[in-house]
Amino acid sequence: MAPVPSLLLIEDDDAIRTALELSLTRQGHRVATAATGEDGLKLLREQRPDLIVLDVMLPGIDGFEVCRRIRRTDQLPIILLTARSDDIDVVVGLESGADDYVVKPVQGRVLDARIRAVLRRGERESSDSATFGNVVIDRSAMTVTKNGEDLQLTPTELRLLLELSRRPGQALSRQQLLRLVWEHDYLGDSRLVDACVQRLRAKVEDVPSSPTLIRTVRGVGYRLDAPQ
Amino acid sequence: MTDPQGGRRGLSAARRTVQSRIRFTSLRLRLVVVFGLVALTAAVSASAIAYWLNREAVLTRTQDAVLRDFQQEMQNRASSLPVHPTQDELQHTAGQMANSSQRFSVLLVATDEQGRTVVGNSDLDTFTLEDVPKSLQKAVNKQQTASSAGGHAYHLYWQRIVDGGKPSLVGGAKVIGGGPTGYMLKSLEPEAKDLNSLAWSLGIATGLALIGSALLAQAAATTVLKPVHRLGIAARRLGEGQLDTRLRVSGTDELAELSRTFNSAAESLEKKVADMSSREEASRRFVADMSHELRTPLTAITAVTEVLEEELDAGTGGLDPMIEPAVRLVVSETRRLNDLVENLMEVTRFDAGTARLVVDYVDIADQITACIDARAWLDAVELNAERGIMARLDPRRLDVILANLIGNALKHGGSPVRVAVREEGEELVIEVRDHGPGIPEDVLPHVFDRFYKASASRPRSEGSGLGLSIAMENAHIHGGEITAANSPEGGAVFTLRLPRDASPLVEEEKRNGNGTKGNAR
Repeated sequence: MAPVPSLLLIEDDDAIRTALELSLTRQGHRVATAATGEDGLKLLREQRPDLIVLDVMLPGIDGFEVCRRIRRTDQLPIILLTARSDDIDVVVGLESGADDYVVKPVQGRVLDARIRAVLRRGERESSDSATFGNVVIDRSAMTVTKNGEDLQLTPTELRLLLELSRRPGQALSRQQLLRLVWEHDYLGDSRLVDACVQRLRAKVEDVPSSPTLIRTVRGVGYRLDAPQ
Repeated sequence: MTDPQGGRRGLSAARRTVQSRIRFTSLRLRLVVVFGLVALTAAVSASAIAYWLNREAVLTRTQDAVLRDFQQEMQNRASSLPVHPTQDELQHTAGQMANSSQRFSVLLVATDEQGRTVVGNSDLDTFTLEDVPKSLQKAVNKQQTASSAGGHAYHLYWQRIVDGGKPSLVGGAKVIGGGPTGYMLKSLEPEAKDLNSLAWSLGIATGLALIGSALLAQAAATTVLKPVHRLGIAARRLGEGQLDTRLRVSGTDELAELSRTFNSAAESLEKKVADMSSREEASRRFVADMSHELRTPLTAITAVTEVLEEELDAGTGGLDPMIEPAVRLVVSETRRLNDLVENLMEVTRFDAGTARLVVDYVDIADQITACIDARAWLDAVELNAERGIMARLDPRRLDVILANLIGNALKHGGSPVRVAVREEGEELVIEVRDHGPGIPEDVLPHVFDRFYKASASRPRSEGSGLGLSIAMENAHIHGGEITAANSPEGGAVFTLRLPRDASPLVEEEKRNGNGTKGNAR
C-alpha cells in the first residue's frame, strides 16, 4: 500500500468536486477526479487508486451502476456520496456493493474519517490462521480460501469476517460490528452490517440463503459458527 | 397506527353495525306491522261481511222452504182434521206432516170433545210443547183483527232458538176456523255446520292474508332497505376516506335519485380533495426540491469553509485579521444553514411518508450517554438510567429525539437537565426535565408546532424552529408520543413514550411499502 493513499473522486458537480478535492488534498490524500461514471471507470483502470468516492447522481450511468461494474472486477473500497438520504438509495447503494456511504452536505472531516477507517481495514495483522469448515482465514496473509480457492473479498468484508472469527460462537451486535469494522460512532447505520453480511455470505457460504457459518442471532446480531 | 387505536376503532365500528342493525330492524318491523294491520283490517271486515251475508242467505232460504212446507202441510193435513180430533188422529197427522220433504218435527195441539187438550207428536223425544217458546205460542194463538193482515184470523209465526247448543227453527200456526194448532221444529244444524266451516275458511283465509302481507312487507322492506343499507355503507366508506366510492343507480325512484345525489356529492368531494392534495403535494414537492437543490451548493461551501476554518485554527497568520471574523461568520452560518436544510429534508420526508425505521436492538442508557457525550453535554445533564434496559428501535431517530429534547431543555430551561428512563409495561418512558421557568400555559399546546416561537423577540440563534416538531414525528413513526407539561416543582417536563419493540411497525411498513420500493427503482 502506498504511503499516501490515492483516491478517485467521481462527482459531476464542479463546485463540489473542486471543494472536496481541495478539502481531501488538505487532509493529505492524493486525489484524482472524474466528472462522469465513464471517465471514472477509465481512470480506475489507469491509476489503480486505493479507494473510490462515488457520487450517486451522475449523468449517464449512475453511481449504483458504476459501483456494480467496479465490483465485477475489483474489490477496492467504495464510499458512496449521496445527496439523497432517502432510505431506498442507501439500501440500493449498499446492495450494489458500496462499503460505506456519506450523506451530502458532507463535512470534509467526516469524509476523511470514513476514508481512513475504510483504508485501515486492509491493513495486515500479525496473527495466525483459523479454519471454519472448508473456509480458511489466513490473518497474516490477509487471505481467505474456500476449498483451497482464494476468495475475492473487499477489505470491509474481510474485516467483518476477521472480527467475527476472532470471537467464534459469540454473538456480536450490529452496533458492535459497526464500531469494530466501520469505526462508526454510536449512530452507525445497521444496514451497512446487514448488507455486508449478505455479500459475505454470498461468497463464503455453500448455500447463502441457509447459512451455516455466519448465523443470524435474532434480535442481537451475527455469530460465526464452525459447522459441526 | 398503534394497536390500541386500531382496537378502539374496531370496537366503535362494531357498535355502529349493531346500532344500524337495530335501526334497520325497527324500520323493517314497522313496515311489517303496518302491512299486517292493513291486511288484518281488510281481511277481517271482508270476512265478516261475507259471513253475515251468507248466513242470512242460507238461513232465510232454508227457513222459507221449511215454513212454506209447513204451511202446506198444515193446510193439507191439519185442516182436514175434525175440530176436536182424538189423540190418535193428531198423532197420525203429525207423523204424516213430519214425513214431508223438509224433515221437521211436528207438534199438533187441539182440544178434544171433552175439552181436554190433546197433543199429537211426530217425534216425542225431541219436540214437546216445552220446546216452543211461550211468546211464540201466544203469538200463534192470538186471533188477528180482521183488517190487519189480509183478513186471516191467524198467522204463521216463527222463531230461531238455540236448544242445548243446537240451533233450530220453531214455527207455529193455527188452522183457521178452529182447527188444531201446529208447531214445527226444524234443526238448523247442517246450516250451522256449513256456516261454521265457512267461518273457519274465512278465518284461515285471514290468517293466510296476514302471513302473505308479512312476507310482502318483508320483501318491500328489503327492496327499500337494501338501497338504504348500501347507501349507509357507501357513506361510511366515503367518511373513511375512500373517496372513489360510488353507488350503482338503477331505476327512477326516490332512492335512485338519492343515490345520484350521493354520487355527485362524492364526485365533487373527490375532486375537491384531489385538488387540495395536489396543491399540497406541489407545495411539499417545492420544499423538498428546494432543500434538495440547496444541498449541492451547500456541500461545496461546507467543504471549503472547513478548509478556511482549519486555516484560521492553524494560526499561521496567513489571513488578514480583518478577514478573520468574516470567515468565522461564514463558517458558523454555513453550519446553521446545514442544520436547517437537514431539518427541512427530514420534515419533507415525514410529510411525504418516505421516512423509514431502521430498527436495532440497543441499550437505552448507552444510547442516551452517547448522545449526551457526543454533544459535550455531560456536565449539564444528570442521567438516571440503569444499563440493561433494551429496546428495539431506530437508534438514529432516538438520538434525534433526545438531542432535540435535551438541547431544548438546555436552551430554554437551563441546567441541570434531568433525564430519567423507566419501563412501563411494553412502553419505554424517557423524561427530560429542566429547571427553568417552565412553559407558559398558552404556549404549551404549540411547542411541537413548526416554526413556532414563544415570543417574536426571541433571539434568532435558538435553532431552526423545527426541532421539537421533528422529535414528535420521530416519536410517531415509532408508534410513540411526546407530551410537554410543567412540573409542579418548577421547570418543564417532556415525556417521551415509545413502544419497546418497534419492529412490528417495520414489518408492516415493508408489507405496505414493497410496491413503492419496486417503483422507485
